[in-house]
Amino acid sequence: MNGSRPTGVAGGLRLVSRQTQVKEWLLAALFFVCAFVAVLAVALIFAFVGWKALPISSEVGLGGFLAGTEWTSSEGKFGILPLIQGSFIVTLLALAIGTPLAVGTAVFLSEVSTPKLRRIVRPAVELLAGIPSVVYGFFGVVMLRPIVGSLTGSVGFGPLTASVILAIMIVPTIAALSEDALGSIPLGIREASYAMGATQWQTIYKVVVPAAKIGIVDATILGMGRAVGETMAVLMLVGGAPQFFNGIGEPMSTLTAQIVMDMSYSTGTHRTALFGMAAILFLISMLLVLAVRLLSTLRD
Amino acid sequence: MSLLAGCGGVGTREQIIVNGSTTILPIAELAAKGFEERHEGASVLVSGMGSSAGIEAVSAGTAHIGTSSRDLKPEEESLRLTDVPIAFDGIAVIVNPANPVDALTVAQLRDIFSGRVTNWRELGGEDRGIDLVNRDEASGTREAFKKIVMGEEAAFDRSAVVLPGTGQVRDVVSRSPGAIGYISLGFVPPRFTNTTVKAVTVDGVVPSEESVTSREYPIARALHFFTNGEPNGLTKAFIDYVLSDEVQQGVVVDAGFVPVTERGGE
Repeated sequence: MNGSRPTGVAGGLRLVSRQTQVKEWLLAALFFVCAFVAVLAVALIFAFVGWKALPISSEVGLGGFLAGTEWTSSEGKFGILPLIQGSFIVTLLALAIGTPLAVGTAVFLSEVSTPKLRRIVRPAVELLAGIPSVVYGFFGVVMLRPIVGSLTGSVGFGPLTASVILAIMIVPTIAALSEDALGSIPLGIREASYAMGATQWQTIYKVVVPAAKIGIVDATILGMGRAVGETMAVLMLVGGAPQFFNGIGEPMSTLTAQIVMDMSYSTGTHRTALFGMAAILFLISMLLVLAVRLLSTLRD
Repeated sequence: MSLLAGCGGVGTREQIIVNGSTTILPIAELAAKGFEERHEGASVLVSGMGSSAGIEAVSAGTAHIGTSSRDLKPEEESLRLTDVPIAFDGIAVIVNPANPVDALTVAQLRDIFSGRVTNWRELGGEDRGIDLVNRDEASGTREAFKKIVMGEEAAFDRSAVVLPGTGQVRDVVSRSPGAIGYISLGFVPPRFTNTTVKAVTVDGVVPSEESVTSREYPIARALHFFTNGEPNGLTKAFIDYVLSDEVQQGVVVDAGFVPVTERGGE
C-alpha cells in the first residue's frame, strides 16, 4: 500500500496507451469502491440503529434505560441493566474457560507439536469455527444442559451452560491469532534461551509467551468481541430470564438473546428499546476494536 | 420463498402465508396439507413465531392469516382484524412424571408462578426447589395463562426459564424433576416425541377435551385465525376448509383440541 495510482507509473513518458491508462484508472476506482462498501455499511448501520434508538432518551430516559433493573415489555418496563450484566457474565465466564484452552492450543501448535500432528490438530480447530452456532446451541441443549442441571440442581439453563459452549466457539478465533503472535517471535530468541540452558517448558513460559503477550491479549479481545455478539447458541442456553445473577446454574438473559426473543412482535417504545440495546452492542464492539487498535500501535 | 414457489413451475401457484401461535401449528400444518391436496396449485406456508408475532404479521401485511392462542389485547383492537375462532383449548399445567404432586388449585398456581412458593414440600411434594418454566412474551398461551391464573395483581416470577415454544417447555419439564410449566392440552400426550409429562388436576378437574367442552376446567381459551379485513379468495377458502367438519372432527380433535361447534361462541 504505497498509495500511488498505477496511472502515475508511466509519468509523462507515455509508455502505455491512453486506453490502458483509462482501464487502469477504472480498476483502481473499482477497488476503491469495494473497500469503501465496508465503511459505508458500518456508517449506514450505525446511523440507522442510532436514529431508531434515539427516542429512548425521551420515552424511557437514558438513566431508566441503562440503569433500570426490570425488563418486562408487557408492563412497559425497559431497564436493561440485568441484560448488560448477563452479557458480561456470560462473556467473561466464556473467556475464563476458553482463553487458557485456546492459548494452550496455540502453544501446542506453535511450539510443541510435530508437523505431522499439526496437520491434524490445526484443521480440527479451524473446523470448530465453521460449525453454525445453532448446532452448538442444539448440542448444548441436548448434551450439556442435563449435566449442568443435575450438577447445580436446576433446570440447567444459565450462564454456566452458555459459557461452556461459548468457550468452545471462541477457541478457534483466539487460538489462530495467538498462534500467529507466537509464530512471529523470532527463532533466535528461542535459541538464545536454549543456549542459556533453559528447558523447552522454561523457554515457552518464561520467554516465548511473554514476548507474544500483546498479540495474545489482542486475540483474547477479538474473542471477547465474538462472545459478546454471539446470539443463537446463547439464546438457546442462557434461559431467557431478565433477572440479575443469582447462580451460574440459574437462568439469565443477555442483550443479544433478548433482542431475538422480542423482535418478532415488538412495537413502539419496546422496539425503540431493542434498537437501544443494539446501539449498546455496537458501542461495545467499537470499544473492543479500538482496544485492539491501541494494542497494535503499542506493539509496533 | 415466493421466488422459490414461482420457480416451481406448474402454471400460477397461489400462495397464502399463515404465521403465529406455536400452539396452533399442528392444526395449521395438517390443515394446510389437506388443503393443498384438494386445491391444485395452492400452497399454504405455515410458521409459528408466537401469537403476538402472528397478529403483528397479519396487520403489517406479511401474512394472510395470523394465528393466535389468545384474544386481542385492547391496543390491538384498533387494527381492525377479522376474528375467526377455529377451536377451543385447555392449558394444562405439567410437571415431571416423577413428581408426586398431582393436584393444584388456581390459587396455588398463582403462588407458584409468582415466586411466592418455591419448594415442592409446601405443596405436599418432596423437599425440592420448584423450577419455573415460562413462555416468552410473544406467546398467546402465556398471555391466556396470565389472564386466567395470575389475574391483575400477580406478576410472573422473573427468575423463570423462558422458552420460545410449546415443544421446548414440554421437553424441559419431561427431563427436569423439579420443573413446572404450562402447555396446550393437545401437547400433553407424547404425540410427537417419546418423552412424558404429567398434567396435574386444577381445582380438582382433570384437563381433558370433555372438561374443556363442559367449561369445568378453569384454564381454557379460544384459538383464533385473524385476517386483515374480511377474508377473500384463497384465504377464505382455507378458513372455510379449517371450519369444515372434515378438519374440525379430524385434525382438530386428533390434535387434542375442542372443535368450535361443540363449545359454542364465547
